[in-house]
Amino acid sequence: MAPLLETRDISVHFGGLTAVKNVSFGIEPGERLALIGPNGAGKTTLFNVLTGQLKPSAGAVYFKGRDITRAKVFERTHMGIARSFQITSLFPYHTVKVNALIALEGTRKGRYNVVRYLMKDKIAQADAQKLLESTELWELRDEVVSSLAYGQQRRLEMALSLASDPELLLLDEPSCGLTTAESADITTRIRDLGSKITVLMIAHDMDLVFGVAERVILLHYGEIACEGTCDEIRSNQMVKDIYMGSRKVRHGR
Amino acid sequence: MAKVPEELPGDEAYTGDVPRAVPTKPMTRSSLAVGLPVVVVAVIILVLPLFIPSFVSSLVTKMMIYGLFGMSLNIIWGYAGIPSFGHAAFFGAGGYAAAILTLKVGISSFWLNLLLAIIATAIIAAILGVPAFRVFGVGAGAVNPIYFLLATIAFGELLSRVAIAVRPVTGGSTGLSGIPAPHLGLGFKMTSGRYYYLVFFITIVCLFIIYRVVNSRYGYALRGIHDNERRMQALGYNTWLYKYTSWIIAAAFAGVAGFMFAHFGGTMVPNNLAMITSDIAFLLVIMGSTTVFFGPLVASVVIVGVDYLSSVYLPERWPLIFGAMFVVTIMVIPQGLGVFILKLWRKVVRGAAA
Amino acid sequence: MSTALVTGLNGLSYAFILFLLAAGFSLTFGVMGVLNLTHGALFVFGAYVGLQVIDSFSAFWLAIIAAAVSLAVIGFLLYYLFLRHLYNKVPEQAVLTIGLGYMAANVILWIWGPRAQIAQTPHILTGALKVGGLGFPIYRIFICGVGLLVLGLLWWIQDRTRWGAIIRAGMDNKEMTVSLGINYGFVSTAVFLLGIALAGVAGILGAPILGAYPTMGDNLLLLTLIVVVVGGTGYIQGTMLGAFVIGMLDTFGKAYVPKTALFFAYVVFLIILLVRPSGLIGRKVF
Repeated sequence: MAPLLETRDISVHFGGLTAVKNVSFGIEPGERLALIGPNGAGKTTLFNVLTGQLKPSAGAVYFKGRDITRAKVFERTHMGIARSFQITSLFPYHTVKVNALIALEGTRKGRYNVVRYLMKDKIAQADAQKLLESTELWELRDEVVSSLAYGQQRRLEMALSLASDPELLLLDEPSCGLTTAESADITTRIRDLGSKITVLMIAHDMDLVFGVAERVILLHYGEIACEGTCDEIRSNQMVKDIYMGSRKVRHGR
Repeated sequence: MAKVPEELPGDEAYTGDVPRAVPTKPMTRSSLAVGLPVVVVAVIILVLPLFIPSFVSSLVTKMMIYGLFGMSLNIIWGYAGIPSFGHAAFFGAGGYAAAILTLKVGISSFWLNLLLAIIATAIIAAILGVPAFRVFGVGAGAVNPIYFLLATIAFGELLSRVAIAVRPVTGGSTGLSGIPAPHLGLGFKMTSGRYYYLVFFITIVCLFIIYRVVNSRYGYALRGIHDNERRMQALGYNTWLYKYTSWIIAAAFAGVAGFMFAHFGGTMVPNNLAMITSDIAFLLVIMGSTTVFFGPLVASVVIVGVDYLSSVYLPERWPLIFGAMFVVTIMVIPQGLGVFILKLWRKVVRGAAA
Repeated sequence: MSTALVTGLNGLSYAFILFLLAAGFSLTFGVMGVLNLTHGALFVFGAYVGLQVIDSFSAFWLAIIAAAVSLAVIGFLLYYLFLRHLYNKVPEQAVLTIGLGYMAANVILWIWGPRAQIAQTPHILTGALKVGGLGFPIYRIFICGVGLLVLGLLWWIQDRTRWGAIIRAGMDNKEMTVSLGINYGFVSTAVFLLGIALAGVAGILGAPILGAYPTMGDNLLLLTLIVVVVGGTGYIQGTMLGAFVIGMLDTFGKAYVPKTALFFAYVVFLIILLVRPSGLIGRKVF
């Protein structure tokens, strides 16, 4: 089966610094892939190339067989790629419900409509309700986002990422800043996303990685150092050397 | 059908960019509590001329025109988060269109000229919007916020210099005067008393349209872009397109205000395009509250009122007073009058309901 | 052709006035991140104070010092009363300083009246240098000299001194600089005051060339902004380049195509925005 997302020889140079070097990998539909590596390994840079925020210096990205290397961020969302942010990126001055409404409109046909009231639109309101109920945020729907607890904001973050009904979900440090219990919660949620969604995530939290991922790629100094299943990675001496005991690191960089 | 003025929740604090409000829990409101004041104000304006001397009617006309001007800027400033310091470019364009079309081209139909003025203003906005958004927003060229500010200031100045230079068309630095009274083609002559109602009618229609736009899906997208443009892009919005189109829409309404201004005063000068007029626009927005729908309207009443009082008692000191309004607004009531009035109104409603 | 040389000197001296004015703005904005739109009014105020001193004491050099000192005092008040409360709030700073600019212009009008002040070049600097049948005004040569001196001084401070290094570090990463124990607050306040004093000095030096009337602040502010954008922020040589381009363009424009002079400056400004938004020699901020 052809990979859903494929990168070929991605390289990213910043001035004299090479952040990513000749990275090639693919991810199959329905797969759960984790990208790990110490700080500065190039994970975020590579992630930004996949989301469209950054154009690579060399190489190409293919999605469903199509070259999307130059595609803009919002275009990728319409193709079926969605992302979450490491640092929670919501609409802080609006309520949870409005956050959901705005998120859902992003890929809807009527999003340029200047005539119909959004708050009175029954379909939009119903869809927002469904989205929020799926992440247990419906009770908080009239709370303004900046007053929510961090864990609740993280849940909303994930909800917004799913608003566009994506085929490929790119998660950036999903358990960043969460307590053990909250991380376990996120782990379960990602696991429960179903086989229709493919997930690629950057993570530092090894419990999360081993709890979710089927395959793991380790980046080191911008190159793929090794890849394999969880068991293979867990028992790999090089991985242990590279990390040198940072397995328990929960917070992001 | 009562109108529900939607406002962004309000208390006071700042983020460091366009003045924002830190929200409280949004209040549930009954349609009556909100629709009522709108109807009351409208009725007051309608019957006012029967009770007051004509110069006051004239002032109220001015308040409506400037109110619309401020509202047009708030579409991009308060909702989309685009702080334009050159909005007078569009106000003046609308006004000059009125002047040129009636005096130089010879078209006397008010409605046709209005339409042409809107089109001309929109075209100018479409052209100026290209370099403007080159330097504003996520993914734009220069990341320094000052550049957009300077760009917008430059637009107004540039147009005013064009107006000065192209003497045969625009009357050069003395401008165009003697703009005739509007010819509606309905059979009756236009007087300043009747013009009051014409302005009222046009303003109400424009405000209604603006209200629908900012509360539509498009309007909410603008709010989203203001709050977090990066996220909006990730959600699938073509944020550049939204900003660009909202810029043009705001320009069009400013053009309408300018058009009415031209027929009101009868004269258009290059200063109507320049920074001094743009400064009035953002005083309207800042003093009025960027986060309250009717904010700029309130500010318009205050500013026109103070202007009048100053012209009577301290005519020489108007720039001082004008400047002082800026300073006082920023230092004393930074959240704006709109928020203040809204809170007062809520207290009254709560008190009455209790 | 030969008159072009004289126009060239005029353009160059005008460029140096613009440089002194814009350098002040570039410093306050580039270093402190403060958008101070009273800058044009400060120039005018410097001119008026200086001219008043000349009027009362007949001493040109004293006038320059008076302009610098009085403006530094005003700058301090500006910071202490207003700007320090608006840290990082750029639109508020803009609105506030625009308001103050209006007030200042009106106060100047109130005190000194609406008519333009007569500003004569100081006695020892009047006259013209005769070279090959052309007369090059000595005062303009003097302006160029002063301008070069200030340019050299600021460039040297920027590149060779510890203060310059601190400022450049602060522009890149303020928190880091502060956390390294460097008294950035003191340095940046000093630079801010220097920038404002420069504006005042530019005002009095420029008075014999540009005149002095209460409403000239607006125009000068716009020129400053254009110079800063065209040249780029962050480097003093950028400001000089911007001032040079705009100064020459404006002067030659006025000489050959009257009434459209400033128009070209705006067009250049818009082109730079489209093509090279960070300016000719500007800091690219990620």
